[in-house]
Amino acid sequence: MKLNKNFLVHKTGNETIVVPTGKANFSGVIRGNETLGTILDLLKKDTTEENIIAAMRREYDAPEGAIEDDVRSTINRLKEIGAIDG
Amino acid sequence: MIGIYRIAEKNIRIDSVFQKVHDYCIDYRTDGEPDFTVTTVQDDIELERTRSKKSGTETYYPDDYIEELAVYRKIAEKMPEYDTFLFHGSAVAVDDECYLFTAKSGTGKSTHTRLWRKLLGDRAVMVNDDKPLIKMTDKGAVVFGTPYNGKHRLGKNISVPLRAVCILERSHENRICRITKKEAYTMLIQQTYRPEDGAALAKTLMLIDRLADSAELWRLGCNMDISAAELSYNTMKG
Repeated sequence: MKLNKNFLVHKTGNETIVVPTGKANFSGVIRGNETLGTILDLLKKDTTEENIIAAMRREYDAPEGAIEDDVRSTINRLKEIGAIDG
Repeated sequence: MIGIYRIAEKNIRIDSVFQKVHDYCIDYRTDGEPDFTVTTVQDDIELERTRSKKSGTETYYPDDYIEELAVYRKIAEKMPEYDTFLFHGSAVAVDDECYLFTAKSGTGKSTHTRLWRKLLGDRAVMVNDDKPLIKMTDKGAVVFGTPYNGKHRLGKNISVPLRAVCILERSHENRICRITKKEAYTMLIQQTYRPEDGAALAKTLMLIDRLADSAELWRLGCNMDISAAELSYNTMKG
């Protein structure tokens, strides 16, 4: 899976924002912290949920299951708005 | 049909199917050399009609009206190249400073700027009541009047430095406060025209950052009484 080309990742201050172009069927925005930014950076290339979780584990120290939950809910939300292909 | 119009410091050649858009833009006519051309054909009109149906408009509008919208969309797609973007709001100038009220449609932006005109008389000059263009310059944001100034055609072919952006909400009691860029950001993005082209959108987002860093940002909860304008004007003018 990969980030759809009709969605842009914009970073401002310590925030990451997903913004649809005029072509997307979604017209809101998604705002999040550094974790969202890292997940989106990984989604710029074709990847899998397992690869994202593994990469996040290398970067962040978090209790068992926390990273998995974060990644899954973020990916589900991005899929809902059509921001992920595949 | 061809005409050239100077909008936000750019000479735009409009090549359209119908005459109506040229009548609409008449106050902006120029004899200068065009910086760029926008061309609309029947397919663009059909596409624009599909878009307005998607956004919930049920009323049937004639082709020549829909073409006006299609032309402005094409202009808005191009303007980020010139550090300029389209913003949905009602812009009023007082003493050569522009105050831009923004909110979702139907909240009362135009109603509030009408109260400013009632309060301040001729000192309050409408720059654009609906879809002004904003140019980011080294000295901050400048708001430009455009032909696309809302159903009441309130606006002028002028440009005024932007002092403040005010996000408007309905409220029984009038209240106003300064807000941070972070608090204003989602609304700023949602009220800005988002180009279809990714590079143009990326540029637009950078322009929004500059806007949020240079203009004062406010949130106003207001009713439709003149006291709402007294509060917002007296507080924002400082």
